[in-house]
Amino acid sequence: MDFLKQLYDWIDVRFGVREVVDEKRSGHLLPPNINAWYSLGSVLLVIFCLQIVTGLLLMLYYVPDIDKAFGSVAFIMDEIPLGRLIRLFHAVGSSMMLLVILLHMFSILFMGSYKAPRELHWLSGFFLLLLAMGISLTGYLLPWNQLSFWATTVATDCVSSIPFVGSDLVELLRGGKQVGFHTLGRFYTLHVGVLPATIAALIGTHLFLIRRTGVSTPPFGLEDTTNQWQGDKFVCKDHPDGIPFFPNFVLQDLISISLYLACLMMFVFFFPNMFIPSTSYMPANPLVTPSHIKPEWYFLANYQTLKLFPSEIVGLTVQACAMTFLALLPFIDRGTEKHPLKRPVFTMTAIGCILLWIGLTIWGLYS
Amino acid sequence: MRQLVPAFLLVFALLSALPVTAAVTPPNVCVTCHGGLAARLGMPVKIWKTSIHAEHGVSCNACHGGDPMDAVNSMSQARGFRGVPVATEIPSICGGCHMGIAKYHAASPHGRALGRGGPTCVTCHGSHGVVRATIDQINRKNCTPCHGFESALEIKNIMMKTDGMLKAIEDRIIELKNQGILTDTLEKRLFSLRNQSHSLFHTLNIDLIRQESAHLQAELEKNNSIGSTGTGLSIGTLAVGWALILALLFYLIKKNID
Repeated sequence: MDFLKQLYDWIDVRFGVREVVDEKRSGHLLPPNINAWYSLGSVLLVIFCLQIVTGLLLMLYYVPDIDKAFGSVAFIMDEIPLGRLIRLFHAVGSSMMLLVILLHMFSILFMGSYKAPRELHWLSGFFLLLLAMGISLTGYLLPWNQLSFWATTVATDCVSSIPFVGSDLVELLRGGKQVGFHTLGRFYTLHVGVLPATIAALIGTHLFLIRRTGVSTPPFGLEDTTNQWQGDKFVCKDHPDGIPFFPNFVLQDLISISLYLACLMMFVFFFPNMFIPSTSYMPANPLVTPSHIKPEWYFLANYQTLKLFPSEIVGLTVQACAMTFLALLPFIDRGTEKHPLKRPVFTMTAIGCILLWIGLTIWGLYS
Repeated sequence: MRQLVPAFLLVFALLSALPVTAAVTPPNVCVTCHGGLAARLGMPVKIWKTSIHAEHGVSCNACHGGDPMDAVNSMSQARGFRGVPVATEIPSICGGCHMGIAKYHAASPHGRALGRGGPTCVTCHGSHGVVRATIDQINRKNCTPCHGFESALEIKNIMMKTDGMLKAIEDRIIELKNQGILTDTLEKRLFSLRNQSHSLFHTLNIDLIRQESAHLQAELEKNNSIGSTGTGLSIGTLAVGWALILALLFYLIKKNID
């Protein structure tokens, strides 16, 4: 124990670690009524790290070439020790990441945590959702299987309905008229370089913003559930009667992370084909179009919406309007009430929208 | 001139692609001419098109000789045209590709009776409409015109066990493929074992068939356990359980601290 204390002192006199720990234990107090939903951010941070680690390991053997990509993924899964596990962790992890991001957003939506001064928190989180969808889409093509090839063909084809620039944009995305060698190169670069770096930068921004404004107070268990922010000067929200981040909330984070890992491993070990259907084990064949091309579950609602409208451009416009509304929600909803039961119109509308999204997703799956 | 370069490249690319296409569907004057003929002269082509030989690109000239690339000399004896082979020629023609089987057949009572009414390959497998060999080709209809069915049935029963194991592994391979597991090596091995098993029948030597089938079955037994997920599921249970215990542990510590 003396050795550990000496080591701690050695580090402390050089970097002031004791000050940081003390600050986390007593200085960084969180709202006393903070709940488990607040730990989803930490879960997402762990997921992102897991995706990076498993992605780097996959990069050791993956070959971004249309003639070798499928074989290299099969090689990883079949020949490399723990390769199957690593690939499944990465592939299932990407779906789980989107699921947790959505849960995180829903919790913020219902607890009114997006309200001023946290508009930019919401906006940066919204862009993180878009980037997560982008990184999943680009990663989906990389195994170069029948499903990924045709799903990417359909997904990129949607862009062509944008007036004037549509066909140029499709060509820019694909690097040619068809999904092929150049598309794989582009998607690979985006997936392993551009998007992870952008996501990391945006996560940093998101965390910086949270640190500067302080953690929002959940509207539960309080008499006054209105937003207290005056908007006249910068205030870092403190909670003098709150609980310390360390160790109290760190333990809540660890509980949520452990439960997440249990869910992830349950899917990886027991239901791997739920996220990777058997059709995705067939190499891509540009000459044979599968009878049913379906995007990944998180794009099913978009896919079904496009089918509902007589023209793709109308479907895309409706989706763009919905997404813009969601992004700008903190600037549109200026009400001060945060409790979901005290703003029934908002709550019912939000539940209706979520149910609509789930309905469209299920419809898209079985259509 | 510069504008012509892409055009030349395009033409060159198209021309380069031609031999590839030609290798898949070679021009075949036998099929072209006989395919258009009626009755006796045209029927073999129609039947051949449904055969495993057609599926693998084994064409008329493989058995009948001749040159399918040259319409004028296609049936010239100088180009090896032999017409309808006589019975004694058939095992050596088929044995040109199916070498192992030809060897077994030649040494068997069937082979020794060749030219004296003994069966040739086409007696059981047919000629133009050859299909993938199955155990059902050993049947009363094929065997009893010449001899009793007892010994053939005994051989069939021994081979049926091997065939059942082959089928089970074949199903397992499809299952493994659906899980993204590479099965190329296993498929090749299975192909070889099936060939060995089916070739063995042609010896008509019950003791040898019994002995060799036992070896094949032992090897198949080994292959049958490939890709078993039992270990994976046990590890999965442990991993999920470990994460849940960890969550419970953190919950208890938190409760204590709170």
